[in-house]
Amino acid sequence: MAIQDFTAGQVLTAVQMDNLQANDYNQTVSTKTASYTLVAADKGTRVVMNSASATTITVNTSLFSAGDTLFLQNISTGVCTVTAGTATVSSAGPLAIPQNGSGTLYFTSAGVSIYYPSAVTATPSGLTLISATTIGTAVSSVTVSGAFSSTYDNYEIKISGGVGSAGGALSLQLGATTTGYYKAGNVNSYAGLFNGTATANAANWNNVGTHATNVLSGQIWLFDPNLAKPTKFISNYQFTGTTGDSSQQSGFLDNSTQYTAFTITPGTGTLTGGTIRVYGYQNS
Amino acid sequence: MTYKIQINDLVRDATAEEAAQIEAAQAEAVAQNEAQIAKQISRQAVLNKLGLTADEAAALLG
Repeated sequence: MAIQDFTAGQVLTAVQMDNLQANDYNQTVSTKTASYTLVAADKGTRVVMNSASATTITVNTSLFSAGDTLFLQNISTGVCTVTAGTATVSSAGPLAIPQNGSGTLYFTSAGVSIYYPSAVTATPSGLTLISATTIGTAVSSVTVSGAFSSTYDNYEIKISGGVGSAGGALSLQLGATTTGYYKAGNVNSYAGLFNGTATANAANWNNVGTHATNVLSGQIWLFDPNLAKPTKFISNYQFTGTTGDSSQQSGFLDNSTQYTAFTITPGTGTLTGGTIRVYGYQNS
Repeated sequence: MTYKIQINDLVRDATAEEAAQIEAAQAEAVAQNEAQIAKQISRQAVLNKLGLTADEAAALLG
């Protein structure tokens, strides 16, 4: 039974008393089969989602007061996501409620709520997307900050989807460091020319990717960039022109600086479009 | 020359210091590229001297 608003002089019946008491021991349930927007009468009750398709529970302001709670539960296969409407919803855990998942929505004011998901041991992903940066128009460099942290030791950077204003090689710089980059590798043309390349104590790692008017490509694996030890890397790229080349490089940065950011710079001209994605490898 | 740089989702004009850094990075890339081309030319010269094709040289080194 939803909360009642008793007025002075009103007779409280045994049925009402039993219903109110029952809510404490056998909570009032309202089952929803489609996305639902909470209403004031949901206060103190259990909202049960039952849909095979993905749904949302939308939370709006001015319906609840500080201290109000309600219980959210999902009994079907469609994931239900607690969604901020005009109220805020924060949480230390996921807002998505899987089948047989649940949690408590607690209001600290009329427009501010916190969702406390019931403890669920999430299966850690082997590879987690940390950031996806869309490259702007005609930019001469792209810096991704906050890419590396103590959460992961090893990372993968994938650059794809855009183009350059001219043909050249992408270089990668860690933080503000412009010295001490060592690498060796090869750039092999599809026509069969095999060329070894090596640079010592350079200002960056060059040839970690390629850019031209029809392609932007690079895959870079970084090892220990946020640890107090030399960062190591492996990279490769694939030029998509029939007279082009592909490359594999590897090396290290000769210092023990802990980095959080990197910068990608085209060898000539600018970059437009495409995405730089950073993934973290789960440590354990 | 004015350069536009991007930091995460923000695109703005580069400062003089940042522009110098871009020019240095691109100059190094050009230098490395030229070194690579020079190496290719010298390699081709050796192949010519030996009378080998690139495929034959690859087979030899393979």
